[in-house]
Amino acid sequence: MYNLGTVMRFEISRTLKKKTFWIMAFGFPVLFAVIAGIIYFSNKATDDASKDIEKQKFSFVVSDESGVIKPAIVTAMTGKMVPVADKQQEIDAVKNGALDGYVAYPADLTNGTIEVYGKNVDIFTDGRYTGVAQTIMSLSASDSTSANVKAALTKSTNVNSTIYRNGVQYDAIKQMILPGLFLVLFYFLIAFFGNQMLTSTTEEKENRVIEMLLTTVEARTLIVGKILSLILLSIIQGIVVIVPVLLGYLLLHDKLSLPSLDLSSLPIDWGAIGIGFAVFASSFMLFTGLLVAIGAAVPTAKEAGGFFGLVMVLIFGPLYAASLFVSAPDSPLVTVLSLFPFTAPIPLLLRNALGNLETWEALVGIAILIVTAALVTMIAVRIFRYGVLEYSRKLSLKEIFSRK
Amino acid sequence: MTQIISIKDFSIGFGDVQVIKNLSFHVNKGETFGLLGSNGSGKTTTIRTLLGIYQPSAGKLLIGGKPYSVSSGIRLGYLPEERGLYKKESVIDTMLYFGQLKGLRRDQAHNEALDYLKKVGLADKAKARLDTLSGGQQQKVQLGITIMAEPELLILDEPTKGFDPVNRRLLMSIIEEHQKKGATVILVTHQMEEVERLCDRVILLKDGKAAAYGTVKEVRKAHGGKSLDDIFVSIYGGENEEVQNV
Repeated sequence: MYNLGTVMRFEISRTLKKKTFWIMAFGFPVLFAVIAGIIYFSNKATDDASKDIEKQKFSFVVSDESGVIKPAIVTAMTGKMVPVADKQQEIDAVKNGALDGYVAYPADLTNGTIEVYGKNVDIFTDGRYTGVAQTIMSLSASDSTSANVKAALTKSTNVNSTIYRNGVQYDAIKQMILPGLFLVLFYFLIAFFGNQMLTSTTEEKENRVIEMLLTTVEARTLIVGKILSLILLSIIQGIVVIVPVLLGYLLLHDKLSLPSLDLSSLPIDWGAIGIGFAVFASSFMLFTGLLVAIGAAVPTAKEAGGFFGLVMVLIFGPLYAASLFVSAPDSPLVTVLSLFPFTAPIPLLLRNALGNLETWEALVGIAILIVTAALVTMIAVRIFRYGVLEYSRKLSLKEIFSRK
Repeated sequence: MTQIISIKDFSIGFGDVQVIKNLSFHVNKGETFGLLGSNGSGKTTTIRTLLGIYQPSAGKLLIGGKPYSVSSGIRLGYLPEERGLYKKESVIDTMLYFGQLKGLRRDQAHNEALDYLKKVGLADKAKARLDTLSGGQQQKVQLGITIMAEPELLILDEPTKGFDPVNRRLLMSIIEEHQKKGATVILVTHQMEEVERLCDRVILLKDGKAAAYGTVKEVRKAHGGKSLDDIFVSIYGGENEEVQNV
């Protein structure tokens, strides 16, 4: 191990001299501090939102065929008893938004189904109607003098919940599936292809082939060709993953008794699907351009790798505020994360799937993503054009923009 | 004589270092021109600026009467000083890619690549990955790419750098072949033996300026009939600091 100390001294000293080492060293704690701040703010805002919801008195009415439910308990919970005969009228009131919730207890509480109707608030809050129905029944059973009633109601009861939004039945989970696919797709494509995007330009620098290449093909053609190729490759990768799964499902569905997929029951909201696609496409273009630009600015794939973590934190960091997107979609932090181009993809895609993305936010967000993607691609071309011969060092921002 | 390259009042610097200062020269169509100088004299910088890779801080650098761009219609063959290829691709795929980028149809590029590989004894390596080839074989492939699509302007920056005698002889024969076909050749080098053998005119750069410029005969005459090798030593060895424009 002769010279081990010399080698170590050399390696350590040259690494310590690199700006990237210090950027990474200080950059990550700063990013973690930002994320911790997001988590803290998100949790606090979620907690506040939950408390607000708890404080919010929502209007609900109850009809009871069983005779077990105690009107006093309903009243104590700020509800109101209504005649069974008014059932359709109350359902219509929920449907048109005049009433927040309606609970219809059947004649036989142990074998029958409790029908719950509610007005959509958000995916988590919508559970309050079922919660109220079960609490009223549970308290009424405890209050009952009949041992039979108590015994019967300790068994699990069937509850059927129907949520309405803008006059039509709304299933928040099913509603999320199709727009949510774009979120899943974005996540997997960046995870699978991010590194390839990053190294697609460093390869030519490291192989010293770039000078000959750039006197044969325009830099713009080369970069745009690379970006489009990566997008096509991603689509191929997606097809390669999805097709065998679908084929396997179709061929083995009966043999393995796999559950049937009833796609016809999936709600198709073309608006949400369109927004999901537009956000996905523009986000993918933006991050492909960004990763290609970083690759063009640094001399080696090894150095590019250091920046990959930072980009991933930008993209997926907003997931730490996911609960906030559900509970407080109007908060300033959510708006900032949704409209700042480098953090926008996940908030926009997630909120679009959750159904709380306002149309103006979607349009502004998509416009910001498209403009930023175009700018980043132009910068990538510029970096590539002027950074090609920087085989051993990174280009500074000043150099990139000062060249004629 | 028609000028294919015209460089006028060209200056360029990087940071505080002025690499080229007010340089002017031209290259005639069909001639073989030697761009000479010691390491760091600005030869490669001049070529890179001529090809639009660097931007000049002053002056005009024209090929065929206009600044060079890929779309300017000049059939260019450029062998840069910094060399390399897509190491994980096959020889034939790499040659096809560059051939097509230079405007050849796929079948034309394929035929031209195979003809060249046969000529240089690499036909059996056509499907081999480039990183499985020796350094000399890779150089042959790079040279083959440079001369694809019959370039009318061939710029060879330090073409013999790292070449063994066999490849050097091959390179010389290729240059001569293209000279006969009427191509303009720019040889960027400090190998004076090759310059005397191949070049019609030369320019010697020193400290970013022309230290000598003219036909080989004129330059030699101006230096008392010395060989180019001796002239090179006298200029770059500090014996003659004066700029001589012949």
